[in-house]
Amino acid sequence: AVRGPAGPGLSAACLCRRERVRAMFYHAYEHYLESAFPYDELRPLTCDGQDTWGSFSLTLIDALDTLLILGNVSEFQRVVNVLQEGVDFDIDVNASVFETNIRVVGGLLSAHLLSRKAGVQVEAGWPCSGPLLRMAEEAARKLLPAFQTPTGMPYGTVNLLHGVNPGETPVTCTAGIGTFIVEFATLSHLTGDPVFEDVARKALKALWKNRSDIGLVGNHIDVITAKWVAQDAGIGAGVDSYFEYLVKGAILLQDKELMSMFLEYNKAIKNYTKFDDWYLWVQMYKGTVSMPVFQSLEAYWPGLQSLIGDVDNAMRTFLNYYTVWKQFGGLPEFYNIPQGYTVDKREGYPLRPELIESAMYLYRATRDPTLLELGRDAVESIEKISKVDCGFATIKDLRDHRLDNRMESFFLAETIKYLYLLFDPDNFIHNDGSDFDVVVTPYGECVLNAGGYIFNTEAHPIDPAALHCCRKRKEEQWEVEDLMREFYSRKKTKKFTLKRAPDHGEGENAKDPEDASSEKEKRNSKKSSHSLLSCPSQSFNSKLAVLGQVFLDNT
Amino acid sequence: AKDVTMPAKLPVNFFSTRSPVIDLFRGQLDYADQLRQDSEIVLYFFYAPWCGQSIAAREEIEHVASRLSDQVLFVAVNCWWNQGKCRKQKHFFYFPVIHLYHRSFGPIEYKGPMSAVYIEKFVRRVMTPLLYISSRSKLLDFLSNYEPGVVGFFEFNASPQPPGYLTFFTSALHSLKKDYLGTIRFGVVTDKRVAEEISLVHSGSVYLHRHANTSLIYPKDIMNFTAENICKWALENREMLIRWLRPHGGKSLLLNNELKKGPALLIFIPYNPLAEIHPLLDEITKVALEYHKCNKSQAAEADLQHVGDSDSPAFDSSVTDGHLKFSETFPIAKYPCCNTVVLPQWHSISRTHNVCELCVNQTLGVKPNKVHVPHCNFLEIEAALDSFYLQEHTFFQVISNTIECSNFLSFYSPFSYYTACCRTVNRHFLSFISSEKTIFQTPKVAFSSHGKKDNTKFSIPHIEDRNCFIPDLNISSTNITGLSCRTNKTLNLYLLDSNLFWIYAERLGASRSTHLKEFAAIVDLKEEVHYVLDQNQSLVGPTLEDFIKNFSVLYSPLKRHLVDDPSAHFHEEHVVTEVTTSTFQETVFLSAKNVLLLYYAQWCGFCASLNHIFIQLARLLPSDSFTVARIDVTRNDLPWEFMTDRLPTILFFPHQRKEQSVKFPEDFSVNLPNLLKFILHHSSLSSEPCTKECLHKESVLQQGHISHLEREIQKLRSEISALHQAHDQLEAQLSEARREEQRLQQQKHTLEKQHKTLQLHSEQLQATYDQKNQELLEMAEKLQELADASENLLKENALLRILVASRGGKLQSKDEIKEPLQSEQTLSEDNDMSLSTATAALEEKRIDNIDTIETERSSGNRTE
Repeated sequence: AVRGPAGPGLSAACLCRRERVRAMFYHAYEHYLESAFPYDELRPLTCDGQDTWGSFSLTLIDALDTLLILGNVSEFQRVVNVLQEGVDFDIDVNASVFETNIRVVGGLLSAHLLSRKAGVQVEAGWPCSGPLLRMAEEAARKLLPAFQTPTGMPYGTVNLLHGVNPGETPVTCTAGIGTFIVEFATLSHLTGDPVFEDVARKALKALWKNRSDIGLVGNHIDVITAKWVAQDAGIGAGVDSYFEYLVKGAILLQDKELMSMFLEYNKAIKNYTKFDDWYLWVQMYKGTVSMPVFQSLEAYWPGLQSLIGDVDNAMRTFLNYYTVWKQFGGLPEFYNIPQGYTVDKREGYPLRPELIESAMYLYRATRDPTLLELGRDAVESIEKISKVDCGFATIKDLRDHRLDNRMESFFLAETIKYLYLLFDPDNFIHNDGSDFDVVVTPYGECVLNAGGYIFNTEAHPIDPAALHCCRKRKEEQWEVEDLMREFYSRKKTKKFTLKRAPDHGEGENAKDPEDASSEKEKRNSKKSSHSLLSCPSQSFNSKLAVLGQVFLDNT
Repeated sequence: AKDVTMPAKLPVNFFSTRSPVIDLFRGQLDYADQLRQDSEIVLYFFYAPWCGQSIAAREEIEHVASRLSDQVLFVAVNCWWNQGKCRKQKHFFYFPVIHLYHRSFGPIEYKGPMSAVYIEKFVRRVMTPLLYISSRSKLLDFLSNYEPGVVGFFEFNASPQPPGYLTFFTSALHSLKKDYLGTIRFGVVTDKRVAEEISLVHSGSVYLHRHANTSLIYPKDIMNFTAENICKWALENREMLIRWLRPHGGKSLLLNNELKKGPALLIFIPYNPLAEIHPLLDEITKVALEYHKCNKSQAAEADLQHVGDSDSPAFDSSVTDGHLKFSETFPIAKYPCCNTVVLPQWHSISRTHNVCELCVNQTLGVKPNKVHVPHCNFLEIEAALDSFYLQEHTFFQVISNTIECSNFLSFYSPFSYYTACCRTVNRHFLSFISSEKTIFQTPKVAFSSHGKKDNTKFSIPHIEDRNCFIPDLNISSTNITGLSCRTNKTLNLYLLDSNLFWIYAERLGASRSTHLKEFAAIVDLKEEVHYVLDQNQSLVGPTLEDFIKNFSVLYSPLKRHLVDDPSAHFHEEHVVTEVTTSTFQETVFLSAKNVLLLYYAQWCGFCASLNHIFIQLARLLPSDSFTVARIDVTRNDLPWEFMTDRLPTILFFPHQRKEQSVKFPEDFSVNLPNLLKFILHHSSLSSEPCTKECLHKESVLQQGHISHLEREIQKLRSEISALHQAHDQLEAQLSEARREEQRLQQQKHTLEKQHKTLQLHSEQLQATYDQKNQELLEMAEKLQELADASENLLKENALLRILVASRGGKLQSKDEIKEPLQSEQTLSEDNDMSLSTATAALEEKRIDNIDTIETERSSGNRTE
C-alpha cells in the first residue's frame, strides 16, 4: 500500500489532497468489508449491508481497480482470490442488464487487464485468458438472452438463471441499449468469440435507425416495436452513456462509423438543446424545450468533449456546472436553470462522480487550477457533509444536507478514483506512452500499458492495446513480417528495385488487395474534409483560457 | 432500516473561539444586524461550512482581522444552516460573500481576490474613502498616480460641513460598490490655494484628472449633484491608460473582451496593494503615460516628472500643471479642449489610417458674451465627438502626409466650432526613417497655414514631437512619446499581479525556474501570435520602451514566441523520441535519419490509443536509420509551416529530402502494416550508381537486417516458450481433466454396481414380501378354519353342556352312571387351551409382516 515519492508535477497542496482522498477511500472500503461484505452495498447509517443490483459483492468488484490505482497491490491480489472463490452468477436473481454490464463485466475486465501490473501470477495465455476474464465472460453470457428481440435492442432486465422473465417489460432506456460496445468488444477481442461485439453493434445500429428526423433520440423505447415511449431528448439520465460509448467505442476500436454517428448527434444536440452553454431537454421530434433543467448525470459531457478536442466548449459548460456545485456543495439530480434552484423530489446527491470525471479529463487538457479547485471543493463537501462513522452516506436533500442510508458502489469505483487521479498527475493511468510493458503471449509479442486507457462508464479502465493482442495479432504479424523483409531487400537492391520488382512479387502481391480496400475506404470518406478519428488542435487563445476565462469563437 | 435518514450535523464553530472574528455559526442574522449599530465599519463574512472557498478564505480574513480589529468589526455568519435566520433571509449562489458597511452605507460587496492584502486594502478604502489633500505637493502626488483621481473642493470655514460634501463622500463609497478594484481614487481639497492649482474656484466643484486627455469638471448645471451621478460620471470618463486585469476565477469574458480590442501588452509584476511605494509600477506608468501622450505634452510631462520623484521640493510654476500656464498666457483663449481620435481603417487592407486631433474652438464664429466656460467641459468634448463622428466620412479620405485642419460647426450649438486636424498615418511611415525629415517638414508648414486658432501652439499635434523622427537607423531611438497615436499597431496596456496570475505568464512562456516573477508579453489575438520580452533582461522602463517600439515598427524585429515544454527535457531516452520546440530542428531536420513524426496531444483520445502502435513501430525499425518521434503540440509551439490543425497527424521526413515531408493519408486507418507501407513507399529510392559508400551502406543495412532477424528469432523463441508454457498449461489441464474423467467413470461404475445390487435387493425383498403375503394369507385361512373349528367346538361344547346338564338332571337319580361323564369334561377343557394358543400365533405373524414392509421401504429409499 505504499507508493514511491511524488513526482515533480505534484504541488504540496495536490499531494495533501491526494492523501485525503486515499484516507476517504479506506474509511469507506474498510467499513464495507467489515460490516457489509458479501452484500452488494454498505448501508452507512445502520452499519450493515444489502443487495442492490444482484448479489455479487458489487462494491468489492467495483472498487477493485481503484485499489490498484491507489497503489495497494496486496489487497488487490487478495480480493482477486476472494472473488474467484466467492462470486457465483448461477443465481436466481433479476439483474439490470445495463448495470451488470458496466459494473460487473466492466469491473472484472479491467481487473483482468490490470492484474499483471498488480503482481498477480497470470497464466500463460494472459491477456487472452485468465480466471477474471472467464468470470467476465460468464457474467456477459448471462446477459445475452436479453438481446434476443426482433430489433436487437436488449430488454432492461434479465434473470441470471432463467433468462428473460415472461411478461418482462419491453421498455428500455436508450442508455440501457447503447452502453455495451466498450465491454463487449473488449470481451470479443480477448476471447475470440465475436458474439458479444455483434450484439452490441446491432443494438447501436437499431438506435441509430430509430433516431428522429431532426437527429435526436428519446429517453425510452419499446424494444419489440421500436416505438419511442419517452420522447425527451437530452444528454442526461437515460441517454448519457449511449453518446459516451459512441465516442469511446470509436476511440477503442478506431471505428469511423461510430464516430460519424456521434458527430451527427452532436450537431443535433448543439442545434436544439444547447442554450448559453447549458444543455436542456427537448422533444425529440419537434426540438421544443420540454424541461429547462440541468441533471447531475449530464456533467460527464465536458469530459467527453475534451476527449474529442472540443476543449473550449467543454470548459465553458463545466464552469456553468461548477456554479451549481458552489451553490449547494454538490450537484442535485435536477437543477432548474431559470429558477436557479433544485427541482422538487430531485434534490439528492448520491455522491456521483460525473463533474469530477470531467474535471479530471479537462485538467489533462488545460492544467487549469480551477479544476483542482473543484477537486478541493468536492473533498471538503463530501467529508463535511456525508462522512459518517461507517462510511459515506448519500445526500438525500442538498437543501438541508439530510443523509440517506446508502453508499452506492460507484462512490468507490468512480468518485474516489477520479478525485484521486485529479490530484495524482503522475499516476500510471495518466501514462502518455513513455512507459509500456512488453508481454509475450502465445499469439506473439505484445505492447501493453502504453496509456490511453478508456474508462468505461463505471470508471473501469480498459487498455486499448490489449485489444490488439489476441487472435487478431497473429494475422497482422505475418503481414508486418512480409513488409519488413521487403523493407530490407528493397534497400539492398536499391538501383534495381524497379527492374527486379517481379522478383519480390510476393511482397507486392500481399500489398495489392490491401491497397484496393483502402482505396475504397478513401472514396467513402472523401465527403469529410478530415479524418473523423481526430481532434482539432487547440486555438491560440487556449493559452489564456484558464482561471475561468473563456473566449468566444473567432468566427 | 430502509427509510433510515439522518439530519445534517449541527453547525459548529467555523472560526476558533480566540479569533478576533465573531462567528455566528448558527446564522443569527438579527444579532449580526444589532452588532452593526456599535461599529463604524463592519465586515460580514457569509460562509457555508462545507465550502472549500470559504475554508480557504477563512485564514485570510483572520489575518486581516488581526490587523484591523481595533477599527473594524469582523462578523462571520453561517449562511447555510437551514434553521438559521441568515439562510432564511438571504439567497446566495456562492460562498463566501463579503459585505462591508460604512456606518449605514452598505452593503458594499467585496469581489476582489481572496487574499489578505487585497481584502485589507479594500477595507481600508471603505474606512477612508476620501483622501484629504492638504498641500500642493500632496495634490500633485495624488494626480500623478496612474489610476484616475477625482478631487472635490470643499471649503470648511463657513458651515460645519459645506453643502455637497456628504454627497461627494457618499459618491466615493458608491464607487467602491461599482468599481470593486478601487481604481478611481477620491480626494478632497479644503484649501483654496491648493484648489487653484487645478483651477477650482467654487467650493463644491468636482474635478476628474486625466493625463492624456483634458481633465474634466463635473457639470453641476447639467447633471444633478448626486452620489450616483458623480460616481457614474467618473467611471464613464476616467482614463484607462493602463489597466489591472484581475479575473475573479468564475466564468468570464474579461480577457476575451480586452484582447479582442487589439494587440495587448501584458505586464506581470508582483504587487502588494498595501505597500507604500511601487517603484516598478511607477516606472511602467511612466512608460504608459509617455506612450499615450498624444497631445498636451507639457501637461503630461509635468505629471511625469513628479512620478517617482514625489518628494521633489521644486514645485514651482514652471513645472506646474500646463493648464494654468495657458490660462495665464492667453486669458481670452479658451482652455484647449482636445481629444485625439484614431479613425478606424475604412478598408481592411488599407495601409493607412487617419489620426485626428479634435479641439473645441470657441474663438471661431460668433462669440456671445455670455459664454464663459472656464474649463473644458466633458459634455462639450462629447458633443464635439458626436459632431465629429457625424462627419467622420469627410476625414476618411487619404490626406497625404500633411496635417489638414478643418473647422466644422457644432451639432448642438450654433456658437461653438470644432477644429479637427487630421493626418494620414502611413503604415510605412515608421520604416522610411531616412526620408522622414522631408515628410515631416511638410506637416509643420501645412499646419501653420491652417493655424487660425490662437492656441495653435498648444494644440500642436503629437505627431510632431521634436525628437521624434531623428533620421537614425537605430530603432531604439524612435521615441515612445505618443507612439500609441502614431502607430497603426496600437497596444493596450495591462497589468497583472504575478502573485495571483502567474499562470498566464507561464502559459505564455515565462520560464518556470525564475524566482523573480516579472514578465511582459505582447499578445495579438487576431494574428494568433505573441511576443515575449527577453527574460534575461530585467523588466524596467527602458527595456519595456524598446519592447513597445520594436513591436510598433513595420518590420518588427520581434520574433513570434514559441512556447516550449520544459518538463520534456528531463525525460530519459524513450523508444519514441519526444520532440519539443527547441529540439524540433535538431531531431527532425538536422539528423541524418528518416523521421516519422507524430503530432499529438495527451488529452486527445484518438492519439493516446495509438501509443502502442508507435512503440511497436519504433521497436521494429532500425534505429540507426529511422527515428520515430512525436511532439505534443499543446505544450510545444512550432513555426507556422509545421503547424497542423488536426491531431493526430503523421508526417514522414525522408532522409536527404527533409523538405519534402509527406503526410500519412488521413483516411487510412493507423495500424502497423499501413504505417510500414507508408514508410516503404516514401523512403528514398534514389537510383544513384553504387559507390563504395553505397556498398558500405548496404553492408550496414544488411547488418541491420541481420540484427532485425536476430531480434525476430529472439521474439519467436520467446513466443515458442510462451506457447510451450501455454501448451504445458493446457497439457496439465488436459491431464487433470482426464483424471477427472477417469474418476467420474469409476464413480459411475460404482454407482451402477450399487444400483444393481440395490435393484437385486429390492427384487428379493419383493419376493419375500410376496411369499410372506402368501404365507399370511394361508395363515389367515388356517386361522379361519381354526376359528370355525373352535366355534363348532364351542357350539358342541354348549350342546354338550346342555346335554350334560340334562343328563345330570336325569342322572341325579341314577348315581350309578356318574363316572363316564367326568371324562367328557376333561376333553372339553383341552379344547379350550388349543384355541388360545392359535390366537397368540396369529398375533405374532402380524408383527412380522409389518417389519418386512418397513425393511422394504427403507431399501427402496436407498435405491433412490
